[in-house]
Amino acid sequence: MAIVKMKKLRLMAVRSVRDELLRELLRRGCVEVSEPSELQAEGFASLIRRESSELMAERGRQQALQNALGVLDRYAPAKSPLLSPKPEVAGEKLLDDAALDAALATAETLRTQSERIRRIGAEESRLRSTIESLQPWLALDLPLERNETRSSAVTLGSMPIRSDLGKAEEAMALAAEEAELFPVSTDKSQRYLLLLSRKEQTAAAQDALRPFGYAPIAFTGMSGTAQENAERAEAELKALAEEKLACEQAIVDLAGERDSLKLACDAAATRIDLAETEEKLCATGSTLLLQGWMPAEREEELAEVFERFGCAWETEDPPEEEYPEVPVSLKNNKFTNSLNMVTNMYSLPAYGTVDPNPLMAPFFILFFGLMMADMGYGLLMVAAAIVAMAKMKPEGNARVFCQLLLYGGIATFAMGVLTGGFFGDVIYQLVHLINPDSTWPGLWHLFDPQADSILVLGGSMVLGLLHLNTGMAVSFAQKWKAGNKGDAIFEEGALWVILIGGLLFAADRLLLPNPFLHWAGIVVLALGGVALLFGAGRHAKGIGKLTAAFGCVYNTATGWFGDVLSYSRIMALMLAGGAVGKVFNIVAVMPAQSFGLNVLTGLAFVIIFLLGHGINFALNLLGCYVHDLRLQCLEFFGKFYADGGKPFRPLKYSGTYVKAK
Amino acid sequence: MNIIESFGGMALGMLGAALAAALACVGSAKGTGIAGEAGAGLVSEDPSKSGKVMILQVIPGTQGLYGFVIFFFALNKVTDLAGISVQQGLQILAACLPIAIGGLLSAIAQGKVAAASINILAKKPDDWSKGMIMCVVVEFYAILCMLSSIFIINAVA
Repeated sequence: MAIVKMKKLRLMAVRSVRDELLRELLRRGCVEVSEPSELQAEGFASLIRRESSELMAERGRQQALQNALGVLDRYAPAKSPLLSPKPEVAGEKLLDDAALDAALATAETLRTQSERIRRIGAEESRLRSTIESLQPWLALDLPLERNETRSSAVTLGSMPIRSDLGKAEEAMALAAEEAELFPVSTDKSQRYLLLLSRKEQTAAAQDALRPFGYAPIAFTGMSGTAQENAERAEAELKALAEEKLACEQAIVDLAGERDSLKLACDAAATRIDLAETEEKLCATGSTLLLQGWMPAEREEELAEVFERFGCAWETEDPPEEEYPEVPVSLKNNKFTNSLNMVTNMYSLPAYGTVDPNPLMAPFFILFFGLMMADMGYGLLMVAAAIVAMAKMKPEGNARVFCQLLLYGGIATFAMGVLTGGFFGDVIYQLVHLINPDSTWPGLWHLFDPQADSILVLGGSMVLGLLHLNTGMAVSFAQKWKAGNKGDAIFEEGALWVILIGGLLFAADRLLLPNPFLHWAGIVVLALGGVALLFGAGRHAKGIGKLTAAFGCVYNTATGWFGDVLSYSRIMALMLAGGAVGKVFNIVAVMPAQSFGLNVLTGLAFVIIFLLGHGINFALNLLGCYVHDLRLQCLEFFGKFYADGGKPFRPLKYSGTYVKAK
Repeated sequence: MNIIESFGGMALGMLGAALAAALACVGSAKGTGIAGEAGAGLVSEDPSKSGKVMILQVIPGTQGLYGFVIFFFALNKVTDLAGISVQQGLQILAACLPIAIGGLLSAIAQGKVAAASINILAKKPDDWSKGMIMCVVVEFYAILCMLSSIFIINAVA
């Protein structure tokens, strides 16, 4: 329920135990190693040297394993059962060198095979284009390499079909009288011609033909007729296809190695973490200096480890000036943990400030429920969350997401009870479809969002005021604790006085008209305003007092006005979701109303209902989450939150594909 | 005035309903079209992302849906009011304008954001949900338009 207290750890050890010590820390998973602060100190740098590691090589290995998995997925896609948990393995397996080497060998095989397939693909397209270009000449029984006799030359060429062949021949006869054109074949656009001429006249004949679109075609490096060449290429293609199949089969045969590749991937990632940690260590010839952070609550456990390795070590609470350096880890119970989804997405709180999760949780979940407000949707969310948690046994962020879905679902259901929404108004529609004379008014509800929209709007803003004041209370407490009592009184305190004045004033106007309330309200408002103005100008001098006060009034007025109005989105989303759902229900019962209730109209109802509510549910889920997020991150956090905490990343096993025990 | 009266209230109300559905749907068609073009480019490179591309593509499709909802409310109102007057018809026509105009323009704007989010999906696949959130920010204004239309229709007596 708070930000975990960290201690700064400084440790010296004999260098020979380095690997063992780091692996033990990896197993414990609770120390984040940072660079020793002495590094900057004058003269220190020359005494020690940074530990080196094989970081680049480790990264290369991990990349190779990742690529191998990609190859497997392409040629032997595995149907992973939906919602399955990650396999559990012993942590030691992630440090097993032999298994990693074996997996790397498999990865290399996969790489060569997929590389070979890629080359075959390039070769195949080359052969295909050759066959394509030979197609018009298949009828020609002259070997392609035979392009001349002693005195005559043979040239192949093409001419567009729309050119007049007769005229072309006439023109050619004028330029080279003994040349002759033999048509070989035609296709849609071209006529393929063989030009036979005396060697010395070939150029003249071609020049004469050129205005008719004639273009010579040359086949180089081919022997035999076009037919023979095409057959040869076909045979090569066939052989290549077989080879490709064999390569693919070889890859498919390795599909059984997928799990060990995944394990090796995590092993390689773990080694990268180890290597990165090693680079942060400092060493002399035989000693090692490590500095880092650890949760205060794990100190006893670690003390035992350090004793075992014969380390000299000390821990200290971080002094306040080091707070920006301290990594932040949040510790929450099951309920408030779900809000890590929001805190992680926004930014962690700075060390030494407040963990917003417990404060935010009730509001976030309540607001979400109000925006969705439908029993049916709520049940769907709860069911989805429970199934996912039972089947996937999710960890980390996925788990947080499931928890949030569960609590959001419960709230959605509860608010649905209040508004009488169950997939919009489907029960009402069905009852009236079956018995058109029914006078049943629909499910019980405390309020109807559409009829009582002004009430809902007011309620949203009252909740908003509560929410904002919670944030201000935190800010007040923080300032008070830090000794800035003046700031607390003149900023938050003054605003509260104004708020009370406003409430008194509003009570007179809206609830019980009473001149006492009216005047009391005005007096309190004035008091609060003076306090706020005084507070704003307190630190400024001379004319600055005036501008500071003016700025403060402007900011406070517009800021608060905007913040409170922003909560109207709760009403907007509540109404919009309900309205869209209702229209889908009306459309869904339409066929049955027009043509009577039968199998077809029943089917139409089911299809429209499922489709419509599917869209509406997905849309609302996303919309409500985003707008709830906005209320928390912008309006609520704006009142007190100090962000910028660095997340705590202890040295631990990597868990992309497996879960280390 | 005579010309308008010669149309009759019912025709005006129906014109409103038709505009709500038509303009909002045109907007959605353009929006999903813009996103779809960008999505097709990505899928041609990496077909495995087609599911996520589809989600981003349909996001600007909701304005058409909202327009349809208003079409429905308006049509119901037109048929419910027996002997609808010209004034009432004009009121319904006015009620349809927020979603007709807001839906048209917001869907196109959202389509552009969705297309840009498809770029996120291409370059930083892990962060694609952030693009989705950006799209939903635009969505809110379409929701407000739909609600304004509903409120005005409900106020027509």
